[in-house]
Amino acid sequence: MSLFNKMFDKEDSTAFVAKNRLMFILAQERGSNSFPFIEDLRKDIIEVIEKYIVVKDIKIITEKNHDINMLEVEITLGDNDKS
Amino acid sequence: MGTVITITSGKGGVGKSTTTANIAVALADLGKKVVAVDFDIGLRNLDMILGLESRIVFDIIDVMDEKCKLHQAIINDKISKSLYFLPASQTKNKDVLETSKVEKLILSLKKDFDYILIDSPAGIESGFEYSIMLADEALIVSTPDVSAVRDADRVIGIIDAKSKKAQEGLEVKKTIIVNRIRQDMVDKGDMLGIDDVLSILALPLVGIIPDDEKVIISTNTGNPVARDENIVAGQAYRNIARRILGEEVEFVDIAIQKGWTSHLKSIFK
Repeated sequence: MSLFNKMFDKEDSTAFVAKNRLMFILAQERGSNSFPFIEDLRKDIIEVIEKYIVVKDIKIITEKNHDINMLEVEITLGDNDKS
Repeated sequence: MGTVITITSGKGGVGKSTTTANIAVALADLGKKVVAVDFDIGLRNLDMILGLESRIVFDIIDVMDEKCKLHQAIINDKISKSLYFLPASQTKNKDVLETSKVEKLILSLKKDFDYILIDSPAGIESGFEYSIMLADEALIVSTPDVSAVRDADRVIGIIDAKSKKAQEGLEVKKTIIVNRIRQDMVDKGDMLGIDDVLSILALPLVGIIPDDEKVIISTNTGNPVARDENIVAGQAYRNIARRILGEEVEFVDIAIQKGWTSHLKSIFK
């Protein structure tokens, strides 16, 4: 990076804010666009896990950037164990 | 067989039709036989940008409905012998489009022309879907603002799903045109720069069009700037045409219009 950039490219410039806002919203949107089966997947996961243990909630978070796709599954367990 | 290039954007008003007209002119001036197709059924516009609105007799829907022959609807440009134009219908709406009819039309255009440039309608509905269906390449036009870039990203995500070529396992080449950029604003940090847009959309750049009032002036009279040797935006369009033909052309397009800060920047480098 040139000296000029270090001096003047402020992280509070509106262009910088615009870029960050876009990156953030697009990461979310790309996720939901590319995993249309999320709801079915959720039901299937619940079904499988429930064979072994009580599930209180399942949260599926998707994130898609151009070079990486992520599917984050968070399972909150219920109170009483099944065995 | 000719190459089908669809010019699209998602968002309206970013300069799709102007871009289509100017690239068509520039490709024709490079010796290619080109047809510019207005696919925005019901909202005809490309005719005025090309200055051909007074010559329309039949339109694309008449051809598809076999009310006339293809050659009767296609209009030759006033200046260029190798530039042709197929107008959209102004009275019908996009619901009249059908897959088989669109396929038949595009196929016969591919036999007659080197390049078929399709000016896609804004939005991501059926009109857009038909315009991308048979594309070999897609040029995605975006202005450097959050709405245009967001919509461009959405469209890029949909193209492959709607394209026959992608469904056959082939690649639809996608490239970005950044339109109406103001380097002085970029330098001040008030506008997204080329690097910003490209890093967000993650596709190769094919053109940078500076924000130039001459583009508006040229649409007033129906004379695309691509023909004007002395206009920077015209040069930018001509460069895009050469890149489409596979030439390596440096992105010097907006350097000429750079603000004082850029010059200062180069001193500090």
